[in-house]
Amino acid sequence: MRLWWLRVFALTQKELLQFSRDMILVVAVAWFFIGEVYVAGSGVKMELINAPVVIMDHDRSEASRDWASQLKAPYYKVLGYVNSQQEAYDLLDKGEVIAIFDIPADFEKRLLLGQKTSIQLELDASNIIIGNLANSYSSLMNAEFNQKWMLKTMKIVDAETIQAPMVELRQKIYYNPEGKATWFMPISEMMTVITLLALFLPAAMIVREKERGTIEQLTVAPLTPFQILFPKILAVEIIILLGVAVSVLGVVGAVFQVPFRGSLILFFFVTMVYIYAVSGLGLFIASVSRNLGQALMVSFMVLMPMMLLSGAWTPKEAMPEFQQYLVVLSPLSYYIDMGYSIILKGATIQLIWWPLLQLFALGSILFWLGLIQFNRQLK
Amino acid sequence: MKWSRIKTISTKEWLEIWRDKLYLAMAFLIPVIMMVVLGFGMSMDVEKIPFVAIDYDKTEQSRDYLHNFSDSRYFDYQGMAANEKQAESMMDQNKIRFILIIPPGFQEKLQAGKKVQSQSLIDGLFTYQSKVVKGYVLAINANYNQQLLQNWFAKKQGMKPSDISAMLSPVSLETRYLYNEQMSSLWSTGSGMIMLVMLMAPALLTALGVVREKESGSIFNIYASTVTRTEFILGKLLPYIAISFLNLLVLTWMALVLFGVPFKGDPVLYLVASVLFVSCATGIGLFVSILVKTQASAALITLLGTMIPGMMFSGLLMPVSSMDTPAKIEAHLLPGMYELNIVWGSFLKGQGWSDLWGNMAILALYSMVLWGLAIWKFKKRVAS
Repeated sequence: MRLWWLRVFALTQKELLQFSRDMILVVAVAWFFIGEVYVAGSGVKMELINAPVVIMDHDRSEASRDWASQLKAPYYKVLGYVNSQQEAYDLLDKGEVIAIFDIPADFEKRLLLGQKTSIQLELDASNIIIGNLANSYSSLMNAEFNQKWMLKTMKIVDAETIQAPMVELRQKIYYNPEGKATWFMPISEMMTVITLLALFLPAAMIVREKERGTIEQLTVAPLTPFQILFPKILAVEIIILLGVAVSVLGVVGAVFQVPFRGSLILFFFVTMVYIYAVSGLGLFIASVSRNLGQALMVSFMVLMPMMLLSGAWTPKEAMPEFQQYLVVLSPLSYYIDMGYSIILKGATIQLIWWPLLQLFALGSILFWLGLIQFNRQLK
Repeated sequence: MKWSRIKTISTKEWLEIWRDKLYLAMAFLIPVIMMVVLGFGMSMDVEKIPFVAIDYDKTEQSRDYLHNFSDSRYFDYQGMAANEKQAESMMDQNKIRFILIIPPGFQEKLQAGKKVQSQSLIDGLFTYQSKVVKGYVLAINANYNQQLLQNWFAKKQGMKPSDISAMLSPVSLETRYLYNEQMSSLWSTGSGMIMLVMLMAPALLTALGVVREKESGSIFNIYASTVTRTEFILGKLLPYIAISFLNLLVLTWMALVLFGVPFKGDPVLYLVASVLFVSCATGIGLFVSILVKTQASAALITLLGTMIPGMMFSGLLMPVSSMDTPAKIEAHLLPGMYELNIVWGSFLKGQGWSDLWGNMAILALYSMVLWGLAIWKFKKRVAS
């Protein structure tokens, strides 16, 4: 038994050594875990920030200026006033502004008369995220203006003193109270990176041996197929877990200050099981493909749906129904659920043991299938 | 440079792809599958948000209030929870995204003309979605208040409903969505996916194709032949450009038919721009393949160089104008943003040559630089 383990370790060492000799690959992996995670967290926010807008003010009154003055940072950046519809549409077409606020000529007059008036918001909805957010923020802004105006006309100083039935809605955002994008994106990115590497690396390691013919050497060595394949997965586990440690402690923890609510050990344990499951898939792909090109293309094809079905980019309920059923098949969806639950929600093993077990079973089946296929090829 | 030699290399490359049936199938399947999955999967529609309510009042008024939420197409009512603990555990398991709590005495206080506080607890995991949900909830609540106040003032002071409404909300904001009138995620991200998929797939295909020769050693045949490096690279790329262009046509057809995106622009412009963009994407793959030695690193680096920047720094998820300076610079350095301008310009905005020629010029320049670099960097000699 000792010899058995020694052989496994010797081969694991060989894999690690081989990996470390491909400098470009090492640098790429390091960049994935540090650079990409950082860039995802810092650069991209699905938020309305400094959205460029122009105002077409046909009224030029105190009231209209008052209304427009609410358009301010960090949400909007007012580039100025335009006079003609044509000019405004040109700016929209060129993508230089995302919205035009069109204030009618009799804006103040009607307000003072106690009549209803309306402001047109022409919104570039080619980017749907910005369309949604801009519409939502502008409506809230308009509601605020209305309330201020109402209080002014009713000569009430303090809104609290109105005697009228009203439902005051208190809102509380859980897990990420300030809605910081820097919490969600880096973790999501890190999980994507883990998936990518756990799928690619074992597939590449195995097919390369097949292509170069070094697999013949391994098969004549006193090793069982399990002993040949298992060290590859071990090596991948070590490489990725190291990367995850740097990512979680360094980038996610130290740079973005994401609070780690659950147990770090549990998170690493779950990650380990996840890497096992995905490398099982990589192994299976490697065992069915003949050359690296094939293996990489197939893993790529598996990767995309897996990532998108997982809920890493969009929550499950936003997917069409047929996709919601497929979610069960994506190992990443289990991991995302567990990972976020541990990091942001502080979940413990009691809450997640069932998906964890499912993930382990999924990985074992794939590993076993790969092993059978591999065995058949050797004979 | 001889055309016959370029043709020979191209034929050889094409035969190689043709004989590897799995690779060939993948070359055409990957873009299609990506388009379906990404187009439908990256839905940014915030609709049918599952939520539960906790009603401590259980009166007609509280049910009426709840109806305003459960009848909205934005929310999907999952029933009543007994208490906060039960509801929160559902949220912990990602079954619901939002909890509405109606306090005891809801009806009594409102009928007495008093204020009452309700509470909404929103799952903040998905930052963008939670912000939109927050906005929806506030809007529904504001609407309800408006109704309450109208009834109240009508009863108390005998005002006309229209006067009350003019007093309460004198300004209404009318939003007109341009370019994407129905606010369809498929129109927006769906057509944008053409850019993302056609950035990744050709680059990956080309990178693997060139590095394969290096890794298997067949590149030595080229080193020893009379083919010049320009001829080799041009010949090598032609089949990949052809495949990718075909793919792009298929994806465009998918956007039009499967996603129902309108095409308002100039088809000729779009086709010319597509050729430019495809050469750009293959150029990226080519450039990567010159730098690396193994297919594994080629695949990883191509993905690194295309997927994440294509998704994050192209304006697909977040407009370039809202990015901070380093991200903005990165966006301008990559071809994705220009192609997205062309795709959205052609499909949604109906722009023509006068609006888009700048983007096309940059794409042309980009592919020339990449190809030039690749030819310059490609050495017909083994580095010792």
